[in-house]
Amino acid sequence: MRWRWQVSALLLWLLPALAAVGEIYPARSVPAEGTLTLYSTLDTAVFEPLLVDFQQLHPGIGVRYENLDARPQYERFVGEADAGIQSADLLISTSMDLQVKLVNDGYTLPHGSVSADALPSWARWRNEAFGFTFEPAVMVFNRAAMGDRTIPQSRAELIDQIRRDPEFWRSRIGTYDISKSSVGYLLASQDVRLSNEFGALVEALGDVDLQVEENTSTLLERIESGDLVAGYNLLGSYARARPDSNRNFLLVYPRDHTVVLSRTVVIARNAPNPALAHKFLDYLLSVRGQRVMAARCGLPPIRKELDGVYERLGVNESQIGVLRPISLGPGLLVYLDQQKRRQMLDAWRAILGPTQ
Amino acid sequence: MPQRLGTQRMVERVRSLRARLVTTMALLFLAGTVVMYVAVRAYGQRAADLSYDRLLSGSALSIAETLSVDGSEVRVDIPYAALDMLSAAPEDRVFYRVYGPSQHTVTGYDDLPGHEVRQAGEIEPSDVPEPRFFDAQYRGEQVRFVLLGRQLAQPGLRGWVWVQVGQTRRAREELASQLVLGALLPIALMTLLSLALAWFGVGRALRPLKAISEDLARRDPYDLHVLQTPVPREVGPMVDAMNGFIRRLDANITGLRAFIGDAAHQIRTPLAALRAQAQLALDESDPGEMRAGLMSVERHASRLTRLVNQLLSEAMVMHRTDNRHFEEFDLVDVVKRAVRDVVPVSDDVQVGFISGVAKAPMRGDAVLLGEAIKNIVDNAIKHGMSEPPRLDEEVDIELHPSNGGYRLTVSDRGSGITVDDRTRIFQRFERGHARSPGAGLGLAIVSRVVASHGGNIELIDRQGGGLTVCLTLGGMT
Repeated sequence: MRWRWQVSALLLWLLPALAAVGEIYPARSVPAEGTLTLYSTLDTAVFEPLLVDFQQLHPGIGVRYENLDARPQYERFVGEADAGIQSADLLISTSMDLQVKLVNDGYTLPHGSVSADALPSWARWRNEAFGFTFEPAVMVFNRAAMGDRTIPQSRAELIDQIRRDPEFWRSRIGTYDISKSSVGYLLASQDVRLSNEFGALVEALGDVDLQVEENTSTLLERIESGDLVAGYNLLGSYARARPDSNRNFLLVYPRDHTVVLSRTVVIARNAPNPALAHKFLDYLLSVRGQRVMAARCGLPPIRKELDGVYERLGVNESQIGVLRPISLGPGLLVYLDQQKRRQMLDAWRAILGPTQ
Repeated sequence: MPQRLGTQRMVERVRSLRARLVTTMALLFLAGTVVMYVAVRAYGQRAADLSYDRLLSGSALSIAETLSVDGSEVRVDIPYAALDMLSAAPEDRVFYRVYGPSQHTVTGYDDLPGHEVRQAGEIEPSDVPEPRFFDAQYRGEQVRFVLLGRQLAQPGLRGWVWVQVGQTRRAREELASQLVLGALLPIALMTLLSLALAWFGVGRALRPLKAISEDLARRDPYDLHVLQTPVPREVGPMVDAMNGFIRRLDANITGLRAFIGDAAHQIRTPLAALRAQAQLALDESDPGEMRAGLMSVERHASRLTRLVNQLLSEAMVMHRTDNRHFEEFDLVDVVKRAVRDVVPVSDDVQVGFISGVAKAPMRGDAVLLGEAIKNIVDNAIKHGMSEPPRLDEEVDIELHPSNGGYRLTVSDRGSGITVDDRTRIFQRFERGHARSPGAGLGLAIVSRVVASHGGNIELIDRQGGGLTVCLTLGGMT
């Protein structure tokens, strides 16, 4: 009889999810408590250890995990919610700004727990949005390709090197395409806000034919292969997660300031299984969840209980400048403003234009 | 004496002073607190709105600063700080909208609830409108909005552009609650403190009363000293009243004791004499002697009777002077009745009464005055006989108005009283002559009655021999 029940349960998932089924982790025990649906910008393979460990704690909960890019994920979810479709229970995104917009526009549910209270205040907003990782945006260099050149430790030093030897850097430095990558846009907007040198940097990068890519892994592959010498504003976690990172990659936390991004999770207001969503969120923010995430997903945890900041990042304090975490809050809505976004993309294209 | 059953029963207890005071105060404070709450709540709301409205209009203003025109398009470059400054209210959602002439949304949430604004034409070009604040429901929450207008006048575009910024009310409500709590908490504490103070204060204030009751409870039945316990001014009148009461009781009891002592002493001697006379008479065998003895017995008995009557009369007078039963009566009438009671019908003594008024209304105790007049007239008849008897032996009574009161004189033709004796004679058990038949109480009674009526008594020599007793009495006062 058991197989028949499972089949019917499977059919139940399939019906609303015909467009994109995603990865399914069925419940491991009977009675099943239901299935939790996650929309996430994190690669399934990266996130899987967390799901497996969660199911060990709650074998009755099945999980459907759907990997989407940040903006499509946002647009799809808002479309579904506005149409009255109950789709995702939890949304995980690197786009802190889009997550804040979901909260601001009333698409999310509040969540309260001891673990949530333990988060730093910048990683929490209205008890509805929670940052659960601690990921600095770094400069990544290919050790071999740099040879015995000095490694720039700040934006000013990078500008200086580019200006001194533009031919070395031509077409060999990359970053996110901010018109396509939400993370790239968020990090660039924070640079605009925080850095006096960003304008000069973008200008310098434009002069040496900046290479842009939509996602991190492509950039890292190009740096690894030596096609690119350096990458600017990349999430260091990806670089560190690669198997041969120690040999090939050199991560630099810009001395002037290092923007820190925190992947953000929210519970959907119209979640089909809000109880399960609260359970998973509680697990994700718990010390156990954070530990599993740090050890097996390669994502630096946010909970201070685990380790100090530098231990968590695997760096020495002397190697690192001022850390500037992006604070969850209404300020993030500014760069989502239609006009603001258009102006920023226009300026970006204007600088990089001749070479695009 | 009947047993006083009532003394052990407590006076009926009405609600405790303390409970009454504290309940009244608590109700008063409660009413005050409710009024305060309403007032403070309104004040808190206003204060919270005022402070967060500044933030809101600051945000709108910083957005409005960036307004510009590009060709025929309105451009706005929302500063990061414009929205970030609103996170001073950390838990509040933020909405904004910039819209130009003809309600066209330039950027922001295009479905924000609107607010009636004056049409562009109605605003003077030089007019810089004040930011307008209003509350509206948006996306399931109450939102406070500010609306700020800016006039743009460029070749491609003319008209008003509006910046609308809104923020949910969580921080405002919290601030208002804090203000309310901050104001009401001290009041509540003060209330509790005051109630406690009242509770213990009543106990403290009533402590002297407790001391008094302990003092009274400790006393033996004959201890009638006045209360000496120092008491607060407010309790003073009560203690004074109690002391007055104790004094009267003391005087009464002292008087009663003196009377009993006197009566016993006065009666014992004549009684012994009476018994001795009777025994003597019994021992006589001669009928003549026996008769003389019996006559002596009769004389003693009548004297004793007179003594007892006077004693009882004095007791009555004492009682009535202590309890002043004053009322209106006609003095003429009283004098007439007294004379009728005293003057023996068969006697040959002449008693005349002349009144200068037909009616003499006065205020006092008619019974007492009657008793006093009887005593005077009786004395006049008994002592007014001259030795040897004269033809014009007469007792004259005259009543005349005098100074708003009356002057009553009783004159006889007796031997009079020497000037030396005239003060002594008013004391109890003092007689004008040692051999006179009275008990020595008559004039003492008179003196007491007259004094209780605020009157005056005077003894003067009568022209042509005899004594005149002159009473001066108040009238209606």
